Order: sequence, then C-alpha cells, then structure tokens
Amino acid sequence: MLDLSAPASAVPARGEALLSDRKAKRARRRRQLGPYLFILPTLVGICVFTVYPLISSLYHAFTNWSGLGAAKWIGFGNFQYLFTQDPTFWPSLKATGYFVLLSVPASMVFGLALAVLVNRAFVGVKLFRTIFYLPVVLPSIAVLTLWQYIYDPAYGLANQVLHALGLPASQWLNSQSMAMPSIVIIGVWGVGSSMIIFLAALQNVPQEIYEAARVDGSGAWRMFRSITLPMITPLLLLQLILGLSLSFQAFNQFQVLTKGGPNQATNVFMYKIYTDAFGGYSQLGLASAETWILFLIIMAVTAVVLKSSSMWVFDDRQA
Amino acid sequence: MSAVALGHGIRPARRRVPLAHRVPVTVSRISWYALCTLLAVTMLVPLLWMVSIALKSNDNILQLPPKFFPTSYVWSNFVNGPAQIHFPRLFVNTVIITVVSTAGAVTSSMLAGYALSRLEFKGRKVFFYLFTFAIFVPSIVTIIPIERLFFGMGLINTWIPLILPSFFGNPLFIFLARQFFISVPHSIDESAMMDGASSFRIFRSLMVPLTKPLWITMAILAFQMSWNDYLSPLIYLNSPGRYTLSLGMATFMGTLTSGTTPQYNYYMASNLLYMIPPLLLFFFAQRYFMMGLGSLGLTNK
Repeated sequence: MLDLSAPASAVPARGEALLSDRKAKRARRRRQLGPYLFILPTLVGICVFTVYPLISSLYHAFTNWSGLGAAKWIGFGNFQYLFTQDPTFWPSLKATGYFVLLSVPASMVFGLALAVLVNRAFVGVKLFRTIFYLPVVLPSIAVLTLWQYIYDPAYGLANQVLHALGLPASQWLNSQSMAMPSIVIIGVWGVGSSMIIFLAALQNVPQEIYEAARVDGSGAWRMFRSITLPMITPLLLLQLILGLSLSFQAFNQFQVLTKGGPNQATNVFMYKIYTDAFGGYSQLGLASAETWILFLIIMAVTAVVLKSSSMWVFDDRQA
Repeated sequence: MSAVALGHGIRPARRRVPLAHRVPVTVSRISWYALCTLLAVTMLVPLLWMVSIALKSNDNILQLPPKFFPTSYVWSNFVNGPAQIHFPRLFVNTVIITVVSTAGAVTSSMLAGYALSRLEFKGRKVFFYLFTFAIFVPSIVTIIPIERLFFGMGLINTWIPLILPSFFGNPLFIFLARQFFISVPHSIDESAMMDGASSFRIFRSLMVPLTKPLWITMAILAFQMSWNDYLSPLIYLNSPGRYTLSLGMATFMGTLTSGTTPQYNYYMASNLLYMIPPLLLFFFAQRYFMMGLGSLGLTNK
C-alpha cells in the first residue's frame, strides 16, 4: 500500500531502500502494537480492579480474616456460620427479597406508565418530561436526607399530607412495617430514569403497525396490549435484569435512613455486608463469603429471568 | 396525534371535521393535561417544600403543626447553614475529585472503545467479552480486596482510591463507545490511513471530533457517578477536612437527627447548594442526558 502512494519515478538507491525497509517494519510493528496500547489502561484496570479482587474475595470467603496478617483457612466455616448460627443472616435475606419485590415492579410499572403518558406530540410535553426526570438528576444523598425529613413524624410533610387527606398519621421510617415501603416510595420518586428508557423504546416502534391496526378499528388499550407491549419486551427484559441487579445492591438508603432498623426490618444483605466488613469488627472473611452469596443470588435470579424470557420476549427475527 | 400536526397550518379544513369527532379529542387532551399537571405538581412538592424549609427561621421550623410556606424569608440560612460543615471546602474537594475522575474515565474508555470497534488485532473479541463481563460483576464483590489493596499501599484517607480506578476504563462506557464508534463510516479512517496517519492521530483528529455527543454523554454520566458516590468516600475517608459533599451532608444530617437543635433550615439550605451543580449541568446538557439513557436502552436492540 505504501508503494502505491510513492511516486513511480523515485527509484531509491540500495542503502535508502534498506533504510526505508527498516522504517516500514517499525511502522508495521507500531501498527500491530498500537491497538494494545489503546486498551492497555482498561486491561490493567480489569485485572487489578475486577479479576484479582474476584479471586481474592473467593479465596477469603473460606478463611477467617481480619484484614491484617494472614487469613486462616476454615473451609466452609463462614457459610456454615451464616446458614445455621448468624441471627441476622436469614432476616437480612428476607428484607432484601422484600425490597426487591416491592421496588423492581414499582419502578417498571410506573416508569412504563409515565413513558406512555409522555409519548405524545402535545404542546408542553417536553416540560412534563423534564419535571418527571428532575428527581433523577439530584444526588442520592441530597434526595435521601430530604425524604428523611419528609418522613419526620412531627414536622415532616408526609404526615401533613395524610392529615389533609383525613388519614391517621404514620411513624414511617420508625415503624417496623412502614420502613421498607417508605424507602420504596423514595425510589418511585426517581422513576424518571426508567421512563426515559421506555420512552426511547416506545418511539422505536414503527408507526405503520399502529396505522394498520387503526384501520382495522383497534382501540387504544388493544393496541397497547397487542402491539406496544410485545414490541418493547426486549427492553423490558433488559430493564428487569438491570433493575434486579441494582436493587439487590441498594445501599445508600439503608445506611443513611434506617441503619438496618427498626428491629432489622430494613437490614438488607448489602447493609449487613457493609457492617460486617467496615462496621468496626473487620470480619473480612465472613463478609467476603457474604459478597459471594449475594453475587450468586444475583446470577441465579438473572439466569432464571433470562431462561423465562423465551416465553415472553418478542424476537423480531422470528417474525 | 395527526390532529395536532394539522392544527397549525390548515385551518379551513379543520372546520369540516364533524363536531362529534372533535369533542372526544378535546376531552382526552384536557384530561391528559390535567393528569400530567397533577403528577408534575406531586413530584415537585418535595422540592418546593425543601426550598421553603431552607428559607424558614429557627422558630418557624419548630412550629406545630408545620406550615408549608415560611412566615419570613431568612436568606442568611444560605450562609449559616453551609458554615456548619465547612461547605466551601467540601465543595472544592468534591469538584477536584469529580473533574479528575471524569477526565480519566472518559479518556481511557474512549481509547478502548475506539480500539475495540475500529482497529484490527488479535484477541479483539476476547477482550471485548472480558470487558463486557466486567459490567456484570457487582461492585460489592470486589470492594473488600480493593480496599485492602489501597490499605496496603497506605492510601486510606486519601483521594487516590476515589480517583485512580476511573483512569483504568469504565466497562459500561466502553460498551457505549463501541456501539457509537461502529456507526461511524469506515471510509473515513481508511482514507486517513492511506495518507499515512497513525491510528492515534486518526483517533485524536477525526474520531474525537466526530463523536462529540458520545463523550459528552459519557462525561455527564461520569460526573454524576462521582458527584453522587457515597459508599467509596464512606469507606476510604475518615478526616472531615477531606470529605466529599455526599459524606459531609450525610454526616450533617446524622448530627441533626441525634442532636438537640434540629436546624433543618440550615440543612436544607446547604442541600440546595449541593444540588446546584448537577442541576445546572442537567439544564445545559439536557439533550445528552436523555441521549445517554436512551442509547443505553437501545444498544440492546
């Protein structure tokens, strides 16, 4: 290729030919090496910050380790302790399951409903989209602390609203039964992010299909059920998987708002891992075992969802 | 929807539409506006309430039953509140950490995304799968060994653990970048390569200008991640002078909920200031926010 661009008249002397040959070789080598230089930072990063930690935490899951000095191999000791003796293990799994079951469907349903609502060409629709998306932009700690005060039983807005509606006051975050739903409500306030993703999916559905259905006399609900919903199932699947994974790893809410209380009602697994590892006792071996349990749970749930997806996800390659 | 599109230009034609057909359209439009307004107000009320608290006097916030609007507007809360936690200092801390790690994440991810999508080399597929796999590893599984790593290097209570990892590529950003780079026509770099440009030169002078929406979107995502991060500062920082705003604000709230003088007016005034940078960014780069999320969703198609 280099020869093609060189002028035909320039016939190089022997020495020059050797020189340019070496130059070409170096250039070729650089071209071969180049791509690896581009990915080098990421490659190092994946090795140091993903692969090594995965192996290290897997190893330490089978040890008794305070983080200082050598870890002591204890086989399945940590897992045995967690499954049979630890008084907070099963309650924390239950709290996690409860949180995931409440928050994931809530954000999917409300997100989709809002997306359908703002998928119009009406004047002012952009303003509404912006307002619905606004809470997502705010820093999570700013939002959580705001809601902490909203839920204050005496001075907070939440009980004022209940009072105005003629409903009895609630203890919100201080109540064993209401703490978890209160935290889920904060998440619903930030439903704008899934709204935007669903909106992008809705706008990707070809308009001709709706027009054909309209000619056939289909109503709005019918079109939503038989056209919109099947067409966006690939994105529903993606959102479901991401939502599940993120909910299993939710942490800030519990650290800032409830510290796992009251009476362990919100002691989710992620918060338990944090307290075991960094809460003063430095049970890093035990905490490593817990991180792997959480990882396996997330993988198992994802696998089940993916497996089930062939039954409800519309694949346009088949159509 | 077609009625809306026709509404402006072709007035006379509209008169011919029978009344019976027009009324339901109007009714559904009015109810749509009513529903949207109701929802919008509901979503804005917590924020408006926060602004109101931020402006209330000390007596005013302890009034029972509480009033939605302040009786007097105390602007000095915006000075006295932030003073409680050395706000300007934490602000500068957070800005430094956020700006540096955003630059690191965008640069390293752009480089990798470019190589994975437009350069030919051995093992490209393997690297792509490795990087994609990293997206799915929950950060909690890696956090204990990484913390020990920084502890071993004597870097606890410094900003290094909050900044350094971002310089080593963000798998999610790389995935995003690859999707974007693939859509750029290949003839562009082919002709540049004919002219003897190196791949770095092509990247810097052709690809970076061509993919402006991509790296702006990435920068916004990286900014948000860093500005909002709470777990890492919580684990790594322990002297209040080095705190980020997220950690400082959470600590501030902690002293209020356990303290005797609950000066929530001070708190909410500081909280508003904490929200301003991401809000400004959102209003100036709204298009890219939406694009970032939208493209995350559509990459699956």
